[in-house]
Amino acid sequence: MHRVHTDRLCVPFHPIKCGGNEAKCEGKSELIPTIKFRHCCLLRNQRCVAAYLYDRLLRIRALRWEYGSVLPANIRFHMCAEELEWFNQYKKSLATFMRSLGGDEGLDITQDMKPPKSLYIEVRCLKDHGEFEIDDGTVILLKKNSQHFLPRWKCEQLIRQGVLEHVIS
Amino acid sequence: MFVTCIRKEFYDVVVNQRVALLVALDIDALCACKILQALFHCDQVQYTLVPVAGWQDLGTAFLEHKGQYRYFVLINCGANVELLETLQPEEDTTFFVLDTHRPVDVVNVYNDTQIKLLIKQDDDLGVPSYDDIFRDDEDDEDGGDSGNESDDGSEPSGKRRRFDEGAMERRIERQRAKREWEARRREILFDYEQYEYHGTSAAMVIFELAWVMTKDTKDMLWWAVIGLTDQWVHDKITHMKYVTDIATLQRHVSRHNHRNEDEENSLSIDCMRISFEYDLRLSLYQHWSLYESICNTSYTSCSFKLWSINGQKRLQEFLADMGLPLKQVKQKFNSMDVSIKENLREVIEESSSKFGMKDIRIQTFGVHFGFKNRFLAADVVHAATAVLEGVEKGEADNFIRALDCLSRSNLDRLHLGLDLAKKKLKAVQQTVASCICTNLILSQGPFLYCHLMEGTPDVKLFSKPLALTLLSKYLLKAFICSTRNKRCKILPLIMAVPLDVEKGTLMVLGIPPESDTSDKKNFFGRAFEKAAESTSSRALHDHFDTSIIELKTEDRGKFLDALITLLS
Repeated sequence: MHRVHTDRLCVPFHPIKCGGNEAKCEGKSELIPTIKFRHCCLLRNQRCVAAYLYDRLLRIRALRWEYGSVLPANIRFHMCAEELEWFNQYKKSLATFMRSLGGDEGLDITQDMKPPKSLYIEVRCLKDHGEFEIDDGTVILLKKNSQHFLPRWKCEQLIRQGVLEHVIS
Repeated sequence: MFVTCIRKEFYDVVVNQRVALLVALDIDALCACKILQALFHCDQVQYTLVPVAGWQDLGTAFLEHKGQYRYFVLINCGANVELLETLQPEEDTTFFVLDTHRPVDVVNVYNDTQIKLLIKQDDDLGVPSYDDIFRDDEDDEDGGDSGNESDDGSEPSGKRRRFDEGAMERRIERQRAKREWEARRREILFDYEQYEYHGTSAAMVIFELAWVMTKDTKDMLWWAVIGLTDQWVHDKITHMKYVTDIATLQRHVSRHNHRNEDEENSLSIDCMRISFEYDLRLSLYQHWSLYESICNTSYTSCSFKLWSINGQKRLQEFLADMGLPLKQVKQKFNSMDVSIKENLREVIEESSSKFGMKDIRIQTFGVHFGFKNRFLAADVVHAATAVLEGVEKGEADNFIRALDCLSRSNLDRLHLGLDLAKKKLKAVQQTVASCICTNLILSQGPFLYCHLMEGTPDVKLFSKPLALTLLSKYLLKAFICSTRNKRCKILPLIMAVPLDVEKGTLMVLGIPPESDTSDKKNFFGRAFEKAAESTSSRALHDHFDTSIIELKTEDRGKFLDALITLLS
């Protein structure tokens, strides 16, 4: 449908211009209002189609934030090749931006709904959980009553499970 | 090796790394830990915090974490014993040791790669110079030479004999020099390691680091104050040092207060204010009644000798002299009449000098935030110690609770701590009174000895090191005030309390003799070691303070006999 629309946008303008020129040249000036009227209609249709396509683009952009970098197959089915291409470019652009933040490792800003107060939180271990691996490969031993200062996103899962407790001082 | 610039050689090194913090169980260590945690939070340094009660705990914690961490920070532990030998770390592990225990072990001082001591060198350390203790062995080659020559029989005999004699003489000379050097080395090391004492508070050292990085806040300053006050409350530093360090902190306090002295933007009442106070020495008096506080503070109780009837009479005279009605004085301090509270300090000072107490007032700091919350540094120290050594829960739980009660947002924990501290002080007072009245303190010749029996009330409270230290110091002071024997007044004291009934162990503590000019140097560490070795008693030297050991009850007799022989 996207392709049909883009095609339809481009095609009508030719005959109008030609028609308009012809009308001027041949002196059939009574056709000019008709041509102008049709032109306005076509312009309006063009605006509607452009608005629709732009809205699709914004929704595709929101999909990146909702679903992550890999889209489910049923959604991809409804996108045309150019849209997929646009999505990939957007993904690349976002990744470059995130890598440029936060020092060496970059910062994943798609994690939290709202900007968090701090990236690292202090947690206290409530039960013996054994070893726990974080992103850069290091392993932390979670023993009862030890306190750690760790990245927020790694701890959230364990806080929900009740193994760790967030310490607010 | 000693670190010259803490910021460059410690903080800048760990700021991009992951660190393990191993913290000993005393309030100074807790305060240093809080300040360091705050700095780490600022710079997002990932760390793990583990409390350690003694050398065994330290070893276990190190083993558990050595796979994942390259940098260890040891707070108030690790300086006085050879670390590398005890822990056997890998080549790339670095230890940053922030410890008040002195003397610092010489191997730790002269290790250039793995051990960094965060200790100021002008802390009068007296470390022996390198050449006096360490020496490369060059003698082996010469010894080998002479050996070869004696085996070699191909040279003409006359020449060889002369050569041999010369070599022999040189060898004998060298061996004699080596023996002399070794004897001198033993002497130097013995003198250096004989006495145990404490240096500048760890919290103050870390606060200075924060100040140098201009990241210091009032909270950190308050923790530094508490760290220093802990050293004073538990009698770890001399009065001179305490006063000097107070002056240092006073500069920081006035710097922080100066910022807010604008008349137009005066601070809200809820903001934290630290102020210098020349306040009474009575423990917890603002959170108790004045009467209770006077009865349960060692200074006043010993001056009045409150375990005797005469002492009680003198207390009544004292109160009458100040014009304070008994009813008022037994009330909660906050409910006392305002007219009495107004000049209380001066009135008490005047009267106490009549009764022989010249130093009833001491320089300290107080904090004030909100309408209700005023605390003196000593109050917080007592509260936090009581929480840290609580008998009910486990050690690690208590550590976390004590850490929490140092934060301003956990006031209910702090009040709980104050209640526990009151109970503890009362227990100490009662135990001291009963010991003096029943003459439980015996003179064993070179020292005084006191053994608390199994069924003594509150004896569980005293099986913890800090509480036992407080009890011992109080007991010694009281004994000196109550005895007429001049010789006994200059003796040190050894206390033994039951630790674990099932295992049959005792906790034994030795404190130096009490005097006004005491330099707080304790020789019992080495003495206990030698006595245990010579009698092969089953003793555990686990605490970071070498003057506290655990001993099997059966070995008590021979251990004491060995000590008497050693110290006579």
